[in-house]
Amino acid sequence: MSIVELDHIRKVYGTKVAVEGLSLVIEPGTMFGLLGPNGSGKSSSIRMMIGITRPDSGSVHLFGKPFERAALHRIGYLPEERGLYKKMKVVDQLVFLGRLHGLDAKTAEARAKSWCKRLQIAEAIGKKTEELSKGMQQKIQFIAALLHEPDLIIMDEPFTGLDPVNAALLMDTLLDLRKQGKSILFSTHRMDQVEKFSDAIAIIYKGRLVLEGAMREIKSRYPANRVQVQFTGDASFLEHPCIARCKPFSGGAEIVLADQGDAQLLLHQAVARGTRITRFEVMEPTLEEIFIETVGENVDA
Amino acid sequence: MHNVWLIARREYLERVRTKAFIIATIVIPLLFGSLGFGAGYLAQRTKSTAHIAILSFDPVIAADLKRELEQGRDVSMQVDLVSNDAATGANLDAELQDSKSSLTGYLQIFPPATPEARPAFTYNARSASDIGTDTALKDALKVVLTREQLASRGISSIDIDNVLAPVAIKNPTTGDTTTAFIGAYILFILMYMVIMLYGMNTARSIIEEKTSRVFEVLLSTVKSDEMLAGKIIGVGAVGLTQVSVWMAAALSVGIYFAGSTHGMGGHSVVSPSQVFFFVAYFLFGFLLYSSLAAGLGAMTNSEQELQQLNLFLAVPLVCCLFMLTTIIKSPDSTLSRVVSLIPFCSPLLMDFRISIRPPQPWEIWLSFALMSLSIFAILWVSSRIYRVGILMYGKKPNLPEILRWLKYS
Repeated sequence: MSIVELDHIRKVYGTKVAVEGLSLVIEPGTMFGLLGPNGSGKSSSIRMMIGITRPDSGSVHLFGKPFERAALHRIGYLPEERGLYKKMKVVDQLVFLGRLHGLDAKTAEARAKSWCKRLQIAEAIGKKTEELSKGMQQKIQFIAALLHEPDLIIMDEPFTGLDPVNAALLMDTLLDLRKQGKSILFSTHRMDQVEKFSDAIAIIYKGRLVLEGAMREIKSRYPANRVQVQFTGDASFLEHPCIARCKPFSGGAEIVLADQGDAQLLLHQAVARGTRITRFEVMEPTLEEIFIETVGENVDA
Repeated sequence: MHNVWLIARREYLERVRTKAFIIATIVIPLLFGSLGFGAGYLAQRTKSTAHIAILSFDPVIAADLKRELEQGRDVSMQVDLVSNDAATGANLDAELQDSKSSLTGYLQIFPPATPEARPAFTYNARSASDIGTDTALKDALKVVLTREQLASRGISSIDIDNVLAPVAIKNPTTGDTTTAFIGAYILFILMYMVIMLYGMNTARSIIEEKTSRVFEVLLSTVKSDEMLAGKIIGVGAVGLTQVSVWMAAALSVGIYFAGSTHGMGGHSVVSPSQVFFFVAYFLFGFLLYSSLAAGLGAMTNSEQELQQLNLFLAVPLVCCLFMLTTIIKSPDSTLSRVVSLIPFCSPLLMDFRISIRPPQPWEIWLSFALMSLSIFAILWVSSRIYRVGILMYGKKPNLPEILRWLKYS
């Protein structure tokens, strides 16, 4: 049983096509990264997934069944546009949102407190939202999405506006939840995060799916033809014919090998010319490179 | 239903806890109370204090008039008797143009054209809108002329005073008319305020959620219709609480003063039936205006934008203000009946009619029926605008777009 299954969903606002024939499947217990530049239809797709808007055509299945509102109690959602009641106390706010997700007031309050402790903002619980820092508000919102222990957690750009320490804290929390068997969908345009943590990804661009699959499988589609090299001395080996593109920088270079290029040959050449190699690493293309290659260079991500 | 209740509860608690609510609940009755008593007091005590000059052909009439104007029942003017010639008239004209002079106007009394006719009067005033002085002059002249006529028929001045003494009417069943009227008027103003205030509050609350982007989180479990319903019920409950406190205060104050205060004749300012209808009309008026406001709120992105659309709420209410004079003059005329049945006016005008002269029961029933129908119709449209509008940020939609929203959902 898949957790989410989108089948050729389409959404048009006025004359603008937001999402066009998007299909994707999220398997249980996976961390799923939804990638795409701004305005590519990530948020529109997520909104259709959780019934905020209805697709013009196509179908949404949640937890193996056609979309029904009852399933929404099993989903936790962190929208891209963060929003909390400014004048409301944190605890009241969390209890209110928890109850809307079907919790009773007591459970909601207990969980709100333990989550605040876990995310190191226990002192915020009695304060009004407007008195908190941006980062704290973000954590509160994060808690609001998790309070009812959802099976599917959807986070739209969860890390924007967080400092690295807090971003890591949230990421660890998400990884923990995945370990507990929850499925997590998160959208971002920050590729490094996706690369490290996602089990599967989908890249959408201009409302269409351009790439989808398990992270390892996608990476394996692209040959390991990148070389990172650092050296001192003679740089003439960089003119070797097996190099397709080369971006030199001080004390090193980023190399893309030609189709039949062999890194071993290159290393040999360098050593033969007396260049001192301090680093020589053969790599797969990063997700960012794959992304740019897939959607073209001119995106404002 | 559970979600509606949760949303309404949040809305209610958050609003009732604010200082603004508590202050308004306490201060407004005090304000209106003092205004009511103050107006009643002033209406009885205020006397016209104009400074006028009299040019008369007949010194007797002039002297009588001076006495009447300076020591009359409702006037205490300063009156100068001046010689009756063209030069004085010109001087007085010049004085009226002079902004430093205290002269309000001057009255000229001319001999009658025929011996049986009354003398002719001309009044030149500094300001054309000084109705008070004008009325006082007319009343005083009437008394003076009557007195003179009676005296010329040989009636003694004591008898004349008795004849001209003011008449007092007691209203044992309804209490003092002036007090009752002031009560009705205060209720009218109060209704105007609360409907406007709470209608706007609904719109403001929607915009608050929209600007703080709380919507998206809520929409991930709650239907937009449930949100709208919760919101209107929540804000309405706050209004109802406030109105109930006010009415309870008015009733208890009324009962406390009943019988003890002069002029009330054992009747309170507002009656229990007035309170009942006030609450009922507030409820319906609020639902009507707040469902309109909800649609407006969903269309806009900020308080500033909302203010431009306020007009839609304010215009019908202001129209009611204009209709008030017609209704006071003839509460049962066709015009009064028709306008008080217009759903947007019923909460103010029908309620006012109930206060001053109860209309037919079928009119009251019909007004509620028409309001209910309008509430459903407006809610139908508003909920559709709301569904789409709350997710739209940025540009304010134009009319064709809004019409498309209606089709969308």
